[in-house]
Amino acid sequence: MRSLVVLFRKELHASFTSPIGYTVATVFLLVLGYTFSLTLFATKVANLTYIFHQIYVLSILLVPVLTMRAFAEERRSDTLELLLTAPVPEVAIVMAKFLAALALVLGMFLGSLAYAVILGLFGDPDWGPIYSGYLALTLHAGLLVSVGLLMSSLTENQVVAAALSLGTMLMLWFADAVAYLLPQPLEVFVLNLSLIGHFRPMVSGSVFLSDIAYFITLSLLALFLTTRRLSER
Amino acid sequence: MSKRYQSHVALDRLDLDIHQGEVFCLLGPNGSGKTTFIRLLTGYLTPSSGRLTVAGRDVTADGLAVKRMIGYVPESVPLYGHMRVEEFLRFMARLRALPHAAIDGAVKRVVELLSLEAVVRKPIRALSRGYRQRTALAQALVHDPEILVLDEPTNGLDPRQIIETRALIRSLSGHRTILMSSHILSEVEKTAHRTALLLNGKLLGVRAIAETPDLEAWFLSVT
Repeated sequence: MRSLVVLFRKELHASFTSPIGYTVATVFLLVLGYTFSLTLFATKVANLTYIFHQIYVLSILLVPVLTMRAFAEERRSDTLELLLTAPVPEVAIVMAKFLAALALVLGMFLGSLAYAVILGLFGDPDWGPIYSGYLALTLHAGLLVSVGLLMSSLTENQVVAAALSLGTMLMLWFADAVAYLLPQPLEVFVLNLSLIGHFRPMVSGSVFLSDIAYFITLSLLALFLTTRRLSER
Repeated sequence: MSKRYQSHVALDRLDLDIHQGEVFCLLGPNGSGKTTFIRLLTGYLTPSSGRLTVAGRDVTADGLAVKRMIGYVPESVPLYGHMRVEEFLRFMARLRALPHAAIDGAVKRVVELLSLEAVVRKPIRALSRGYRQRTALAQALVHDPEILVLDEPTNGLDPRQIIETRALIRSLSGHRTILMSSHILSEVEKTAHRTALLLNGKLLGVRAIAETPDLEAWFLSVT
C-alpha cells in the first residue's frame, strides 16, 4: 500500500510538471466553455446533457494524449527497469499510474462544475441527470485511462500508444452501428459493447446497474491486461 | 539456469555460485549474456528454465524479498530527469520501504559517500555523465543493500571518473556482495575478486583474480 502511495505521488507530480497536462486541460476547458455558452444562449434550457456529450467526445480525443506517456516513456527511457527491479508489485505500478491519470482527468472535468453552478444560480435545473451525468463521466474517464494505460504498455512509441487508444475507444463508441450488420447472437454481444449505448442513459438521468458494470468490467479488464503485460518478461 | 527468447538462447544452462562479500565480475564481449544474467538476478527477467536463488530465496517465487536485498544500477543509468537529485533519492528510498524516520539520514549518507553535495538540488537532466552515474549509484545504495549489482559501471566515464568508480566499488565490498559486468580485462583485474567468462550465453570458466596472474592469457586460452 505504501509503495502505491509513493508511486501515485510521483506520477501526480510528473503530470503537474509536464506541459502536456496543462495544454490538454486548457484546450479542453476552452472548447467546453465555448460550447456551453453557445448552447445556453441558443436553447435557453437549463440542463447539462449537451455538455456531458461534449465532454464524452472531447475526452475520447484528448485523454489518449495524457496516457500515451505512462509506460511508453518509462520503457523508452529505461526507467521501467528501475521500477520493475524495486520491491514493488506490478499491480501497484499500474494502479498508481491509473489513479494519477484519473485524478488529472477528473480535475479537468471538475472545471465543468462551474456550468452547473451557473445553471443553479440563474435557472432551475433538474439535478438528478446532472448527478448521474457526473457519475457517467467518472466511469467513462476510468475506462479511457485504463485503455490508455494498456495501449501505452504495449509500445515504447507514444504516438502509437495514443493512436491505439483512440482507435479502441472509437471502435467501442461505434460498436452499436457495427452490430446491426452482424448476425445473431453476435449482434447482441457487439451491441452490448457499445460505449455510447451505456453512456447515454446515465446522462439522461437513468442509472442502470448494467451500465455501471459495463464501465467497471472493461476498466478492470484493461488494468488486468496491463499488469499481465508488465509481468511478461 | 537458461534464458531463451523464442529460438535465441541468451543464457545456456548457466551454473554459477557467487560468494557473500566478494566482488564478482561477469566478463565477456557485448551480447555474451552478462546483462541477461544481471536482469535475471534483479528480477527484471524470469528464467526460461532452472532456478536462481539469492541468500536461499528463489528470485522468481520470492521476488519482492530478493529485490529488497539488492541495489541495482542498469547499464543505461536510467533516472527521472525531471526530478532533483535529492528528490529522486528520497523517492527511491521510499520505494524501497525505508522507514520514514530513516530517509533523511540515508539520503545524507549516500550524498556524502558519492560526493553529490554540489548537485543535490539540481534537476537530474542538467547533470553531467559522471554525476548521473554517481546519482544512479546513490539510489542503489540508499537502502544499504546486502548485494550491489552494477552493469558496466564505468561505461561512458572519463579516466578520472573510472578510477574513482573502481576505488568506490572496492571500498563498498567487504560487508556487501558486489556483482558487476565488464568487457574490459584491466577493469576486472583491478576491481574483482573472482570473474566468470561468458561467451554466446555459455559459461566458459570462473577464476579467482589473485590466482590468475595473466588474465589476458587465460581469456585468450578459453575463447
